[in-house]
Amino acid sequence: FRYTRNLVDNGNGKFNLMILCWGEGHGSSIHDHTDSHCFMKILQGNLKETLFEWPEKKGNGEMTKKSERVLRENQCAYINDSIGLHRVENISHTETAVSLHLYSPPFDTCNTFDQRTGHKHKVTMTFYSKYGERTVC
Amino acid sequence: LPTGLSQWFPALEVLDVSGTGLTEMGAELLSLPCLHTLLAKNNRLGGPGSLPKGLGEAPLARSLRVLNLSGNRFADVPPMLLLLRGLRSLSLGGNRLHSIPPDIQELRSLEFLYLGGNFITSIPPELAKLPSLKYLVLCDNKIQSIPPQLAQLHSLRSLSLHNNLLTYLPREILNLVHLEELSLRGNPLVVRFVRDLTYNPPSLQELAGRTVKTRNVPYAPSDLPDTLVRYLSLASNCPNPKCGGVYFDSCVRQIKFVDFCGKYRLPLMHYLCSPECSSPFSSASQSSTSQSESDSEDEAAHRMQKVLLG
Repeated sequence: FRYTRNLVDNGNGKFNLMILCWGEGHGSSIHDHTDSHCFMKILQGNLKETLFEWPEKKGNGEMTKKSERVLRENQCAYINDSIGLHRVENISHTETAVSLHLYSPPFDTCNTFDQRTGHKHKVTMTFYSKYGERTVC
Repeated sequence: LPTGLSQWFPALEVLDVSGTGLTEMGAELLSLPCLHTLLAKNNRLGGPGSLPKGLGEAPLARSLRVLNLSGNRFADVPPMLLLLRGLRSLSLGGNRLHSIPPDIQELRSLEFLYLGGNFITSIPPELAKLPSLKYLVLCDNKIQSIPPQLAQLHSLRSLSLHNNLLTYLPREILNLVHLEELSLRGNPLVVRFVRDLTYNPPSLQELAGRTVKTRNVPYAPSDLPDTLVRYLSLASNCPNPKCGGVYFDSCVRQIKFVDFCGKYRLPLMHYLCSPECSSPFSSASQSSTSQSESDSEDEAAHRMQKVLLG
């Protein structure tokens, strides 16, 4: 009932290539990218990307939005931790969306951030499927 | 819809007429006995004739499982839609709905209900009477409060409430034990307790009534005027399970914050019989029974922590 992460290729340990499938209204949390490069291409539908500043050390107030844009089919985006944090969402209530993501080096944990307070929380990311096979949870 | 549809394709099971500019769907649908999925999103439906007359009597009323009417112009849920007894999945996302009809409870088989992207301001408690509802989407609306009865949705796995006008949640939300996902971002949830300035102290009659009830003062109808006998029968128990108190008209709304180990602080609305009534979350509670109750509250809060989506 959330967007799914589907691993396509792990590039001999050098990168993760995955496809994300977003239902109507599905969105991610605000997250960082654990010092890796992150490329994203929209394969179907549209995704809204909202960029945020890193919160202050203690994290004691609403996080600051830097910018937002809607990425259309075939558009690409790039982010890394020095650029900032982002939230990605499918804001359509009628269309699903599909995106292709390339992370290098690969990472399986990142921090999610509470927009109201800037508090961060480390999470482990999981795959809904790997190489076409559903992963068992 | 083209006339003759049911003659050409009598065994039709899935019909997708999305993005065709349709303004109405007529009797052609009624004689498709095998139709289980109807997708009609991104059209111009919403006016009279959007759904065919006689829908309630047609085989469709029992056979249709999936109906997608998202991206149309519905300003209210057409009453005829509520006759689709077999419906498992309904989407009315991205329409112009201002409310949800209480008769939505007629859709007894509903498992998936998508109402995101409308102008809905409140949720009828009758929505909680859908026994199979697993996935409820109410994001991007104008909802100001959640009825506590929603906690009766025992099958609920996923609840989407992001981008609404919620300032607090009912404490009962912690009772949704099967919930796996809950989205709350983009709501003006209060971060500080704001004293309820409209609390009116109880009247002398109320105070006397409370004493009679809590001390079990015996009385017979011959002891009191009828009006007072009736008044005493209307006592409500304080919702705080630790408190044996009652109240009549005067009750306090109080927001307590549930702190999920610093990750989120959720404001939950409690109703108490008085400002001094010690609540399960109060640090003032001392007795051993309070410990076990606040333990179960802690467990519920811990469970919720894993379920909250950022």
